Amino acid sequence: MTTAILLALLAGVLISLSRQINGRLALSTSALAASFWNHIVGFVALTVVGLALGMLWPEGALSAPWYTYFAGTLGVIFVASGSWLIVRIGATNTAMLVIGGQMVSGVVLDLMRGANDNIPASAVGVAMIIAGMALTQRRRAD
Amino acid sequence: MPTIVHRPSLLHLLLAFASGGLLTVMVDFNALLASHSSAFHSSWVAHATGSVAGLIFLAILRMGASAAAKGGRPPAPLWAYSAGILGGATVMLTSTAANSALALSGTLALGLAGQVLFSLAADRWGLFGLPRRMPRLTDFGALALIAGGSVLIIFGWG
Repeated sequence: MTTAILLALLAGVLISLSRQINGRLALSTSALAASFWNHIVGFVALTVVGLALGMLWPEGALSAPWYTYFAGTLGVIFVASGSWLIVRIGATNTAMLVIGGQMVSGVVLDLMRGANDNIPASAVGVAMIIAGMALTQRRRAD
Repeated sequence: MPTIVHRPSLLHLLLAFASGGLLTVMVDFNALLASHSSAFHSSWVAHATGSVAGLIFLAILRMGASAAAKGGRPPAPLWAYSAGILGGATVMLTSTAANSALALSGTLALGLAGQVLFSLAADRWGLFGLPRRMPRLTDFGALALIAGGSVLIIFGWG
């Protein structure tokens, strides 16, 4: 259990770390170029690991709906956007707002599918996230 | 690097929020592909198609933009190209943790904590050549609200 907790925490650290590194690359190139390098380097690394462990192409891979293959296209836009933003609004603001957007849109998606079994809790959560976003817009008091 | 103190512009804020929505759709597509194959395969495919899409976008933008705007930028250190390796590692860490007693909700919440803590450190000390930003008191208030709201959405009332 302790190992699992550390792994989950480390995953979060790596998400933040990779956005910072991509942001640094974007300073020297462009946000889109940084996102491209992120994907091609990740592709090469995953190919090496996948070939070594023989898990690159499991059975049933082609039975998935065609549009699931567009996740990477959305990913390249997402990483470019994060690399552009982190230089402008900082790592914490970027992380918090992306997480906020992810949570709120996740709730909306679940509602549309009728998959939300705790609507009041989600509604309060969404309200807290929006309040938090509004707070970042408050002018300095001092 | 100069220390930045001003608040983020509304446009940047909305863009970051919208990109979180994009991420939700991406994760949804990835998870559906993974349910037909594996988490590893779905991440591998996303990196492959993402590379191709990135090349196409770069080619389209290059046709419109002038090369002159690029001059005078500092060269990137080699480590700046390493983020893709971390992305691959993240997928494996997350799927391992989500298959433990933590389940997906616990993994998400801890991943959120890891992101916030490391982002605060990066901003505070200006790590990796990015601008240094001192968090204000209202920033911690915003952070508590967004993190608290997220935990409520992930776990419900508990």
